[in-house]
Amino acid sequence: MQAVVIPGKIVRFLEQYANLAFAGTRDRDRVPCGHRVSGWRLGPDGSVLTAFVAESFMASLVEDLEDNGQFALTVEEFPSHETYQFKGRYRRHRPLQDEDLAVVDRIRDRFTRSMRPLYVHAPEELLRAFILKPGVAVEFDVGEIYLQTPGPGAGTRLVPPPERR
Amino acid sequence: MIPTLPDAIRPALDNGIPAIMVTCSGDGIPNVTVISQVYYVDDRHVALSFQFFNKTIRNVRENPRAYVCVSDIVDQGHWILRLEFQRTETEGPIFDAMDMQIEAIASATGMSGIFKLRGADIYRVHSVERVASPGVAVSR
Repeated sequence: MQAVVIPGKIVRFLEQYANLAFAGTRDRDRVPCGHRVSGWRLGPDGSVLTAFVAESFMASLVEDLEDNGQFALTVEEFPSHETYQFKGRYRRHRPLQDEDLAVVDRIRDRFTRSMRPLYVHAPEELLRAFILKPGVAVEFDVGEIYLQTPGPGAGTRLVPPPERR
Repeated sequence: MIPTLPDAIRPALDNGIPAIMVTCSGDGIPNVTVISQVYYVDDRHVALSFQFFNKTIRNVRENPRAYVCVSDIVDQGHWILRLEFQRTETEGPIFDAMDMQIEAIASATGMSGIFKLRGADIYRVHSVERVASPGVAVSR
């Protein structure tokens, strides 16, 4: 799987609108595992994504990535349900930096604003706590991007286009 | 010991918040998708709605293991279910009940006419675990 460049429309989605994400890995026996993700950043070359995996969802993460390198990240904008899935190969993991935590704070603000109409009387801290404390940054090369917005096109591979393979 | 679903999970299954499902293809590629419903069948089984997620449907037929995370904003907790696909039901009481719930969810989320139940996939529960939210992270 070769790394691909994320198109501008999806970059804008990631940086301005998306507010929820979840990652998937698998072990050597192909048993899948999930990891809540609190934030994400796009690398300068447009083909590396970094996911900030929640501290309480790190079980088996690094072990599985070092075993087979398979990583999938689904990013959604709630409540529109616009959703994309990024599949690729693990590059490395690292501790969180201050700029990563600033990204998580912005996404937490975005999520809280989007949820407020549905939870009118919920305390602010209750909604903010739904975006969990991140524990590690996972960098991966994006090899494929799929549309996952509910509807007839869900599951369509967007990048690379199907005719190229 | 055979894992059973505790009663405490029921509110999280019924709260209408989309769940997350992770599967893995036969050739080892994980797939993450949002699902609108996890239906309590009995204390050892759940049913998942089969609507659009064709890759998920293909994956669990190649490799029946699945991971589901159900969240509850008010309770500040997440339930992790490790599952194994058993069969699909396209009629009967479980299908009918899920179909009604799907329509209600679709109507409440502006997705009427898009959410359509094609089948109720029945899964056996391998394990269940609750992860509590530790609270809001603060910048360093």
